[in-house]
Amino acid sequence: MKLKMILHLVKPRYFFYIILASVMVISSRAAVITAAENETCYGCHDKNSEKMEKTEKARIDPVTGEIEVVSLKIDREAFSLTAHGGEDFACTDCHSSLEDAEDEDLEENGHKPNLKPVDCVTFCHDDPAAEFNESKHVKLMKENNKDVPTCKECHGGLTYHLSPYGEEAPMYVLRATDPLHRKLTIDACGSCHEEHLASYRNNAHGQVTALGHTTTEVPVCFDCHGKHTILNSSEPESKVGQDNIIETCGSCHANANASFVKHVEHPQIKNLNYYKTLLAAVKNYRKDPEALKKMVKNPQTILCIVFVAYLGILAMTFTKFGLHSLLGWFATVRDEYRGKGHSDEEQH
Amino acid sequence: MKNNTNYLRFTLFHRFCHFLTIISFFGLVLTGLPLAFRGYGWARWLYELFGGYPTAGYIHRISALLTFFAGFLHFAWLFFNISIKKKKGFFWGPNSMLLQPRDIFDVIGDIKWFLGIGKRPNFDRWIYWEKFEYLSLMWGTIVMAATGLILWFPVQFTKVIPVSVASIVDVPGIALIIHRYEAILAAVFIFTIHFIHTHLLPEKMPVDECIFTGRITEAEFKHERLGEYERLKRQKQLDSYKVAPPSLFAKFLSRLVAVPLLITGLILVSLMVSALVVWAL
Repeated sequence: MKLKMILHLVKPRYFFYIILASVMVISSRAAVITAAENETCYGCHDKNSEKMEKTEKARIDPVTGEIEVVSLKIDREAFSLTAHGGEDFACTDCHSSLEDAEDEDLEENGHKPNLKPVDCVTFCHDDPAAEFNESKHVKLMKENNKDVPTCKECHGGLTYHLSPYGEEAPMYVLRATDPLHRKLTIDACGSCHEEHLASYRNNAHGQVTALGHTTTEVPVCFDCHGKHTILNSSEPESKVGQDNIIETCGSCHANANASFVKHVEHPQIKNLNYYKTLLAAVKNYRKDPEALKKMVKNPQTILCIVFVAYLGILAMTFTKFGLHSLLGWFATVRDEYRGKGHSDEEQH
Repeated sequence: MKNNTNYLRFTLFHRFCHFLTIISFFGLVLTGLPLAFRGYGWARWLYELFGGYPTAGYIHRISALLTFFAGFLHFAWLFFNISIKKKKGFFWGPNSMLLQPRDIFDVIGDIKWFLGIGKRPNFDRWIYWEKFEYLSLMWGTIVMAATGLILWFPVQFTKVIPVSVASIVDVPGIALIIHRYEAILAAVFIFTIHFIHTHLLPEKMPVDECIFTGRITEAEFKHERLGEYERLKRQKQLDSYKVAPPSLFAKFLSRLVAVPLLITGLILVSLMVSALVVWAL
């Protein structure tokens, strides 16, 4: 009777949890087992192993269709520092199982080269992938016939597969907070958004990252613009849109306020096109006064004026004082040469 | 027999202030310049030499506080002398650092001398370009301090600006541009114009030790500032400035400090000029 009541209390979904828990326990055991299995792989694929003569192979990239040479050797130490270098990852988690690929003489010949290409998305990273693929950024790229970047293009970097291409091989998946990863994403974004990269470099954040400091203390592109969902800054829901910008800036600058977030992160001071638009607006003032008013209200305009003013000050100062000190210097030399210097005054 | 009479040109206080300014100025330039020239390899190297981010930034701020301290000392000294000791001659006359009518004649005389149609003018205590350097140091320090503080505390400064204004006038953005180009102006000015005017003259090479030892010989005095020399003689004050010649150790020490700094400055300015050339090409 009591037992029946207890069973009544235990709802079916609890059984589900129990099963789930046991599956998790078992699968974690499996992970331990597979981690040990990595040793089998490293037996040949370790960079120090002499068992395998071949060190690289050619393959066709499943996404881009390009033929590339990839290394078959792995630097274990470097790999252990990467996002997937932890102990609970097995080689076969990403490189599909070898069961069908076993040669009769595995020891002799190794496995057949029919490993499936690495799929980041299907089993592990489906969330960011969906977020990314459905983002307006990607839609816009498709509309404009741009090549949509694959996971590896942003998350790759150095290689733990020792490739003759060294740092350019896109295999070494760095942790998101790794300064190297953060640095590489600036280049990745900047490869399309050239003007934005150039103007970012004019600003306080960009000048520090340009000197090679890309720890989480200094913002790179994705800190402000988002990672997988990248919206245009004009959209309110964007990380730098009006709904979120105070929070975004405030994540580093405590107590960021509505005036603070009006700061221009991408000053156009060195962008000739901005000056051209500005001049065009001035020229067309009679026809279209609104365009000029809009330009004047743009905070970029004052920045550009200050910049040009300073270039003028620099040029004026150094031409005038440069000439003055050079003339003074030559006049002194001339006097010394003619014996009018203080050496002859010393004598009387 | 060499005339070994020396006169005191700079008191210990002023020598100390100049030294403080040198130290803080180099601290600021060495840690700030890499940011302005971020695209060049030497900038990276220099930034790493001073600890990179954020250490170089801390050195920059400490040096800024030193500059504030030097500025405070200077204005406290002025205040003390003008308001409390009621000393005259700070705003008018030969001892004033402010521009005077006679400076116009000095400029004309100097240009004549450059062109070889006249003798070197008999300058008084402060030559017009020294006044200009002093005034631009004061002005530059105020500009750099104001913009630097805005960049140091951007959130606090923008808090007092209404949003409608902030969306047209980007105060931290303007501050950064001014801070960067005023810094380049100041650094290049000091490392070229100031160096050539004072230290790198053929007669002074490599350094004018006077700003470190405070003393100049009678011959230097008469050559550089005959106007002041004769004025003091007329006013019978000349003897009160007579001092013993600087010790060999003081001369050695001032060179030991100044020459490496001079070389550092010249290297920095040549790097900046090379950056300009690379950019222009």
